[in-house]
Order: sequence, then C-alpha cells, then structure tokens
Amino acid sequence: MLIKLTNVYKIYSEGLESEVRALNGVSLEIDRGEFVAVVGQSGSGKSTMMNMLGCLDVPTHGEYDLDGVNVKELTDRQLSHIRNKQIGFIFQQYNLIQTLNVVENVELPLIYQGIGAEKRRELAMAALERVGLIGREKHKPVEMSGGQQQRVAIARAIATHPPIIMADEPTGALDSHTGHDVLRFLQELNKEGSTVILITHDNGIAATARRVVRLTDGKIVEDQQQEVDWL
Amino acid sequence: MNISQAVKMAVKSITGNKGRSMLTMLGIIIGIASVMIIVSVINGSNQQTLKQMEAMGTNKVNVSASRYDGKSIFDDLYNYCNSLGSDLVLGVTPSSQFSATVVYGAKNSAVMEKNQGNGAMGGGTGDSSDTGQQTQDMPPTLYFGSDQYAACNNFQIGKGRDITQMDVKRYAQVCVLGARAAKIFFNYADPVGQTMQVNGLPFTVIGVYAEKDADSQWSMDNVIVFPYTASRYLSPSTQMTDFSVKASSSQATTQVVSLLTGYLGGIINDQNGYFSVYSDNESQQSMNEWATQMSLILGGIAAISLLVGGIGIMNIMLVTVTERTREIGIRRAIGAERRSIVTQFLIEAAMLCGIGGLIGIMVGTVGSLIVGKALLHTLVWPSPLITASAFLLSVALGILFGIYPAAKASKLQPVEALRAE
Repeated sequence: MLIKLTNVYKIYSEGLESEVRALNGVSLEIDRGEFVAVVGQSGSGKSTMMNMLGCLDVPTHGEYDLDGVNVKELTDRQLSHIRNKQIGFIFQQYNLIQTLNVVENVELPLIYQGIGAEKRRELAMAALERVGLIGREKHKPVEMSGGQQQRVAIARAIATHPPIIMADEPTGALDSHTGHDVLRFLQELNKEGSTVILITHDNGIAATARRVVRLTDGKIVEDQQQEVDWL
Repeated sequence: MNISQAVKMAVKSITGNKGRSMLTMLGIIIGIASVMIIVSVINGSNQQTLKQMEAMGTNKVNVSASRYDGKSIFDDLYNYCNSLGSDLVLGVTPSSQFSATVVYGAKNSAVMEKNQGNGAMGGGTGDSSDTGQQTQDMPPTLYFGSDQYAACNNFQIGKGRDITQMDVKRYAQVCVLGARAAKIFFNYADPVGQTMQVNGLPFTVIGVYAEKDADSQWSMDNVIVFPYTASRYLSPSTQMTDFSVKASSSQATTQVVSLLTGYLGGIINDQNGYFSVYSDNESQQSMNEWATQMSLILGGIAAISLLVGGIGIMNIMLVTVTERTREIGIRRAIGAERRSIVTQFLIEAAMLCGIGGLIGIMVGTVGSLIVGKALLHTLVWPSPLITASAFLLSVALGILFGIYPAAKASKLQPVEALRAE
C-alpha cells in the first residue's frame, strides 16, 4: 500500500472552546497507480487532507504510513526529502516564485536534490516541453497567463518524476478550457503510472478520476470506484 | 544544496527584486553614513580646537607689568629669565600688538582692513558662500617681539633667519612674516630680502615662519613680527607692558610663576607700578576637560545614531523576510530543508548588508569630507574606529534580523508558511 491513513485527526485549538476538527478520524488507503479525487465542500477538510498526505502538515492524532514508513517518525529533513522526491505538488494559486523565471522555477526542486546545473537544465527543459512551454523559459511568471503559470507549476511538479502527484483545485483559477487541459494532463500522468490525488469541490471535475472519496465535516462519507470520464 | 548553489540563489533573489534590495541597502547606507558624518564633524571641530590650543603654545606664562615712570621692565625681565636657565625657561618676549600700515607693491594692510569691514557686511569673511571670488585678504596682526618670540609662540623659522639679539640691539628695521602673511603680500614669490613699507619706513623681510595651521581660515600664521626695539620708530607712544615667558614643562610653569612673582615683587611695588603673573595652563586644562566632555557626548551621539540606524535595518529586514514567508513555504513544499532556507537567507542578508555597508562607508566618507569642508573649512576624514564599528554593527544587525525571521519561518509547517500572504 502506498498511502495508508489510520484514524487520522487534525484538530486546531484542541481542548478549547474554539476547537476545530478539520479531519475527524479519517482512514484511507491508496494504492500505487490510482487516480483518486477527494471531493468536498469548502471547509470539509479536503485541503487539510492533502496537506497531510503531502507531508506539508502533521496529524494531531492517528497514523500516516507512506510507502510503508510511518511519517510521524521522520525528521524534518527526511520529510523534506520525501516532498522533494516522492511528491509533485500542483496548487490552485500555482505558488511560483515571482522573482525567478520559468525555467528557474522548474529547476528549483532539482536544485534541492543537488543535481548539477547541466543535468538540471536538461530535466527542466524536458518537463517544459511536456507542458508545451518551450520558448517561454526565460519569462517571469507575471508575464504569463493563469493557464501558462499552472503549466509551469505542473512542469515543476513533474520535473523530478515523482511517483505521486497531488493537485489541490488545480483548475480553480482557470477557465474551463485550460482547466480541461490540466485535467487531461493529470489523466495522462496517471496512465503513465503516477499515483494522482486530485482535490476538488466540483463533482464534474471529480468525474475524471477512477475513484472518488467524499469528505464532509472532516469525515469520509463516500468512497467508491466509478466510470472514468476520459478527456 | 551546496554553497555555490546557495550563493547563486541569493544573487538571483537580490537581483530578482531590485526595489526591495535597494530599500534594504538604503537602510544600511543611511545608518552607516549618518553615524560617520555626525561623528566626523564633531570630532573634526574638537580636534581643530585642540590643534589651535596646541599651536598657540602650552606652558606659557603671561606677565603684565608696568611702571609709572614709563620705563619698560623688559630688559630686567629678559635678563632675569635667561638667568634661570633653559631647564626652566625656554624664552621670553614682549607680546604687544600694534597697528601700522604695511605696504608691499599693490598690497596695503589699510585697504585690507577696509575691505574686511565691507566683507563682514556682505556675509562674513572667509565665508564659503563667496567661493566665486578670491578669499578676502585679512590684514596681518603686527607684533613686537624679542629674539625669543618664536620659541615663546611655537613658531619655527621656515625660510631665511629669525630675529636675533643683534637686530634688537641695533634697532634693526627688519621683520619676520608668518606663512599666511607671506602668502598674502608676496603670493608665491620669495619674501626674504624684500623691503616692505611700514608706516612709510622701509623694513627688510629677513625670514618667514613655517606654517602652523594650514587648515583654518582664521589663522595664527597671519602675523608680522618686528624686533621690539623698532617700536621707537613705529609706535613710540606704546609702553610695552605685556610679556610672555615660555616655561620648559608644566611643572616648570608653576615654578616660573612663583619665581617671577617673587622677582617682580622685588622691583615693583604699589608705589611705583603694578604687575601680574599667570599661566595659560589652567585655562588649557579646562579646555582639555571640555574636549574630553565633547568626546563623551560624541560617543553618546554615535551610540544613539547607531541604535536608530540599527532599528531601521532591523525593521526593513523583518518586513522583507515576513513578506517572504510564502516563498519560504513554497520552497519547503518542493523539498527545501530548513538548512537550505536559512543558508540562502544568511547569504542574501550578508551580501545585501555587505554591499550596502561598503556603499555606506563611501557615502559617509564623501559626506564627512563635504560637510567638514562646509562647516569647518577643513577636510575631516572619518575615524576608522567609528567606521568599522558602524559597519560591523549594521551588518551584524542586518544579518541577525535577516536570518532570525527566516529561521523562524522555516520552522513552521510548510502549510502554515504557504498560508502567509
């Protein structure tokens, strides 16, 4: 099992009157090569779930095993390495570094892997080629449209060839056409063997995934396989 | 991530946001430059005062003595002082000023006097505001002196020869010029051997004193010294009553004061005249105390300026790093270790502060020179100690407050840093 959540809680201000249970006892298993959509309304805990799965945050209670390793027992440094090598993130707001140009943004995770300049540039250019941004590599993020920026973010996520791709509302800031392209690209990645976890509030978008996990108030209320809407 | 990679990343970050980098550096530049300029100017004026005191001479005993019969006591005083020996007394001279018209070629001290009055009405003499014109010639101060005038007043002969005992005995019509007086009357020509008209009488210039105070507009080099016996022609009505005795040391000064008081008490009493003897050392001591106090105030001002500059630097660094918490979150999300983040911010802060600090030193140096020239009419070089401490403190603060928030932000869970706006 690649991902295994066992009775995971994320509780803010625990014990206080203002206590918020973003995740309220979640257990979930995701296998290698799956395409899972985590669906829920705003405030349902789906983003918290992704942060947990992506090692961007730690559970208050419960266990998270990633590829057989209990995440709780890892040091910050080891977690950094997991984020760097195992996971590619795609965020709603792209989260590009504005002072760096396109290719420098894509190279960033490779820099933290300690890959030499030449090899780095090669990998980054390959990733940019996949998302169709060759020729734009010296542009700054502000000079690009939202769809292009999201493609830069995708290139950054896939540059290290991580086994897991996590996308948090990747189409949220895009028009339906460019959003469509992004989703098709995620399906492609999944076909090539990547495990894809897609967080969304939109059932239509969730229809692109083989498996849908529905969250309400921090609990899983539905978890089922479905017919895939291939794009 | 290795160091050269971290340096490259820091450079990209600095050049990627030039506005922010400039603002950060500006804080450091202003901090360092203002401290340097304030301290330099105060220091400069302090040193100028001490230098003038020094040049006027230390260990001087001033004697004022007069006899009702009008007979000068100088010969007696001269002989007595010289009998005390050089381990106590280095020289004795009249120190009487007098006025006369000195003319050489087109230069006329009476005209200078008149112009000086006009100049004063037009905004002061030697004012830097009238740089378009030549600096106004100040009329020289004229003194009667003995062959020991130079020793008493800290002058060294620069060109030609000094007044001798023979000149005094022969009522010689000779004079020695101070360096500025020589410049005013003769410009770059050699004055030695030239003849000046003093109240219409010819006086030969026999020597020029070496410059004592090159910097100041107000100058003790603008003097002409005549053998005191020449007063017979130049100022017959003047009775010489003021004399200077140069003692060999500050201990000797005290001794000379009491010896002279005893000696003059023996030849002058209430019936036939009056006299007084006092040394400059007491007033010089209070000047020294004043200078020490100025240094203390100076230290205080420098400390406050550094503190204010430091707080400015701290604020800018805190703001910029806080502003970048999201960036730290992004970097952490894609796999940067804490160490990489802190290293990057450390190098960035060090580079910004270092470059800003160097520019600050340049601005501070040029500023000190300009402000010193404008206010003190002299070149004031900033003190290396103040410069170094201002630099080190600013850079240290910049680095400290550059890393501290970065280190703090890197300790957040990446998701919290990402949430920052």
